[in-house]
Amino acid sequence: MRITKALHYGAKKKPDYVRKQSYRFSRRALLVGGAQVGLFGVLGWRLQQLQIREASEYTLLSDENRMMMQLVAPARGSIRDRTGAVLAEDKENLRLLVLPAFCKSLPATLDALSRIVPVSKGTRDRVMRAAKRQSGYYPVLVAEGLTWRQFALLNVLSPQIPGMRTDRSAYRKYYHPGPMAHVVGYVGMAGKSEVDLDPVMRLPGFRAGRAGVEKTFDEQLRGTPGTRKFEVDARGRVVRELGATPSVRGKDLVLSLDHHLQTVAQERLKEHRVASIVVLDVVTGGILALASTPTFDPNEVVFKVDPMAWTKIARAQDQPLQNRAIRGQYPPGSTFKVVTALAGLHAGVIDTRETMSCPGVYALGRARFRCWKAHGGGIDVHEALKQSCDVYFYETAKRMGIDHLAAVARHLGLGRTYDCGLPGQKQGIIPDVAWKRAKLMEPWYGGETVIAGIGQGFVSSTPLQLAVMSARVATGRAVLPKLVLSPDDPAPEWPLLQLDPRHLEIVRNGMIGVVNESRGTARRSALEIPNVLMAGKTGTSQVVNARNEHKLSPYERETHALFIAYAPADKPRYAAACVVEHGGGGSSAAAPIVKDVMTEALLRDAARSPAFASSGAGAVPGPIAIVGDGG
Amino acid sequence: MKMLFAQAPAQKLDLAKKLLLLNWPFLALITAIVLVGIAALYSVAGGTFEPWAGRQVIRYCVGLALLFAIAFSDIRWWLKGAYPLFFCALVLMALVPLIGVESGGARRWIGVGEMSFQPSEMMKIALVLAMARYYQWLPPEKIWRPDALIPPLLMIGLPAILALVQPDLGTAALFAIIGAGMMFLAGVSWFYFGGAIVAVVVALPHAWEKLHDYQKERVLTFIDPERDPLGSGYHILQSKIAIGSGGLTGKGFMHGTQAQLNFLPEKHTDFIFTMFSEEMGFIGAMVLLALYLLALAFILFMALRCRSMFARLVAGGIGLTLFAYVFINVAMVTGLVPVVGVPLPLVSYGGTSMLTMMIGFGFVLNAHVNRRVMFRPAEVGGLW
Repeated sequence: MRITKALHYGAKKKPDYVRKQSYRFSRRALLVGGAQVGLFGVLGWRLQQLQIREASEYTLLSDENRMMMQLVAPARGSIRDRTGAVLAEDKENLRLLVLPAFCKSLPATLDALSRIVPVSKGTRDRVMRAAKRQSGYYPVLVAEGLTWRQFALLNVLSPQIPGMRTDRSAYRKYYHPGPMAHVVGYVGMAGKSEVDLDPVMRLPGFRAGRAGVEKTFDEQLRGTPGTRKFEVDARGRVVRELGATPSVRGKDLVLSLDHHLQTVAQERLKEHRVASIVVLDVVTGGILALASTPTFDPNEVVFKVDPMAWTKIARAQDQPLQNRAIRGQYPPGSTFKVVTALAGLHAGVIDTRETMSCPGVYALGRARFRCWKAHGGGIDVHEALKQSCDVYFYETAKRMGIDHLAAVARHLGLGRTYDCGLPGQKQGIIPDVAWKRAKLMEPWYGGETVIAGIGQGFVSSTPLQLAVMSARVATGRAVLPKLVLSPDDPAPEWPLLQLDPRHLEIVRNGMIGVVNESRGTARRSALEIPNVLMAGKTGTSQVVNARNEHKLSPYERETHALFIAYAPADKPRYAAACVVEHGGGGSSAAAPIVKDVMTEALLRDAARSPAFASSGAGAVPGPIAIVGDGG
Repeated sequence: MKMLFAQAPAQKLDLAKKLLLLNWPFLALITAIVLVGIAALYSVAGGTFEPWAGRQVIRYCVGLALLFAIAFSDIRWWLKGAYPLFFCALVLMALVPLIGVESGGARRWIGVGEMSFQPSEMMKIALVLAMARYYQWLPPEKIWRPDALIPPLLMIGLPAILALVQPDLGTAALFAIIGAGMMFLAGVSWFYFGGAIVAVVVALPHAWEKLHDYQKERVLTFIDPERDPLGSGYHILQSKIAIGSGGLTGKGFMHGTQAQLNFLPEKHTDFIFTMFSEEMGFIGAMVLLALYLLALAFILFMALRCRSMFARLVAGGIGLTLFAYVFINVAMVTGLVPVVGVPLPLVSYGGTSMLTMMIGFGFVLNAHVNRRVMFRPAEVGGLW
């Protein structure tokens, strides 16, 4: 043994130990190997037992007694408006599927099916391809949106057509799709992160709210899934149901909107490329109409999802998916003079006795600020509001300073979002010294205070905020917008604003003058209803400045047209705000829209009738909400 | 071949010679098993490479790179590094309860940024190396002495206890099996093994008391699966139905009804053998087991051809690991032992077990390449 000589490193004195150890390792390794073969033999014996001796027994178990557990998607709660009209509800979607593994021959099955449901050449190719690509136990969709007749016929014939299955899933149907799209929103398949949070989302046919109220109140609308346990035979057909826990339908939602008023508003907005309007019930804060144009049809997004159609909507001109009423941020322009006037009166820098003269231009240091026309002398606060004199408010703003103006603006509800169930609200900007330092790291300049006094410069707000501001001025209370009606809610008692009621009265009179007195800027938009006056304020906000002048197209250079209003002037019930993007003057573009929508609101007087009481109330089960029984 | 060893045994081999010395047929065998696994994962996913089969291919490639790197490295590094590696693994295992990530009721993972790994997997390799290192050092004439048993028992006991704390019964059992097997291979006297068996029988009732409820439940449903056919016995029962209904020839690739209809739990990980034998039948299952047995035989013969105790025991220890994995997994899915959550090596979906096995095979091939190497006492060093 020459090898053993080589082994003598480190153990030269006792070579026999090393040799012994080597032999012992070989012996034991073979023993271990033998044991491994033996234990593998046990495995082989076990497999033989299961797969050969007891195979028929297990085959029987596998074929005839297969238990399946299925989650059942719950029906989504429906959404109604205050009159009880359905805005969104689940509709049944009857579908036809095939399980290729259970077909004797897939083409034969499809031929048989085409006698009942038309199967086009394209569908046929798609099904054949899918069957080839994936396991035969994955169902392939043949047709959906079947009629009841087809569905019943298919179910009767199912024993003769192997591999065929029908099922009932649901899809979401939206009514008044154009006007309601922005508020109600739409549903879609759950995203990956949501699926990880809750595996129920993986259920076919389960949809999550993607936008609007559908998104905000998703959890409430969604409901709880149920389960079904049943036996299926070797052909995949249900033999019998073993038990089920029913799914629980999601809760219904009642909105404060009036679909009729909303439709009228939408129709009226359509004349313009981009415009939006908000109508509030000033007593309850309920949003009666909130429309934005351009709009889209959510039904195109949710049923038979077509990515091309979706992309087309998402990328269309002027972005129809954007809800301008809560996401459009505009310089409020002269509508902001209501705030400046109140703030000036509150600060004591102006009063009713003082008059100023407007030469058409205002000087601050070396800078010159122009008024839209030379109003001449004798301009007091009433005339300044009525005729929208810029010079008067330049001076008012300069006297009180930006911080006081900003504080009153915020007190009137500007510069914030509201927790009313509309997702994606923009905040707008109410600037002050601290804001500018934090945001731009620059000091505040006096000229910026002056232009903020007429709602230009850094100031921006959304139509919803302007409507809330108008409602607060009209009522003298800190009204907040609400979108969802609930029978449990008591009629809200909004806290009084911390402003002198006499000051509010002065401003309200100015706003009445704007619409109803001679030389008022919105004289042509006075209501035609006898004995009912509307109060309002026009605004025409400038878009162009020295920096962007050359980059903009003629359309983009045009001013935004704004109008805020409330009515009836003596006993306010409705407040509104309308913005027409690049619409020209507030008195010519925005005020007429508000006049028509306000007339409609006053004539229908939806706020005064209890919710659900009018159209189709008998058919509507559920809570009766009585909201606001008179202002 | 003889010429390759003309140099003194201690001299280092260059890469070209190492390439010649590598056991290529063994590598082909491993690849064949992995390919079976990829086909099975392709079928489980309903005939697509997503989400499992494709990723398994990538993991195999990464594993192969590691295997080569280890196979061609110097065996002396590993002899020197065996104890430090073991302590590293031990410290990491001890840290798991403190900084580990909990998943499925047990803390087993440590996250490092995007990656996460199980220190207990690292320990499986480190334990083999450390035990081999110990018996390389131990003079053969001292092996019968009782005090020579203390270090190896500590090496097995500490990680096993840490695994039980996590709690991970399967891994603790695996450590015990690998460690005891290596002690047996190293030549520890039969009497000690006899004594240990007696001790286990005595201690068993005590251990039962210490088990977690879910572990007790697993043992109980193992003894009588029909006890709760919809609860924890469901897995075993469905697994048996699936395997049994496969019959002699199976239901055909991608046609296993039980697996495809989602009756099987964890069908792509621990229960992949079930799905495989449902679709491929008794014949397919036997072929797969034969492939594993062949791989075990290869490892055994590689171990026998090594001259140093370290190389022998490294190869032998990895062989034991592979055997323990395969046996426990197949016995588990066929209802012979309780469900303990052990994957089928190289076939089950999962990066950690794949990488552990490939690294292990890297060490086997390293031992094989260095089969003629002997260590001088100075190279081995002392007990530590």
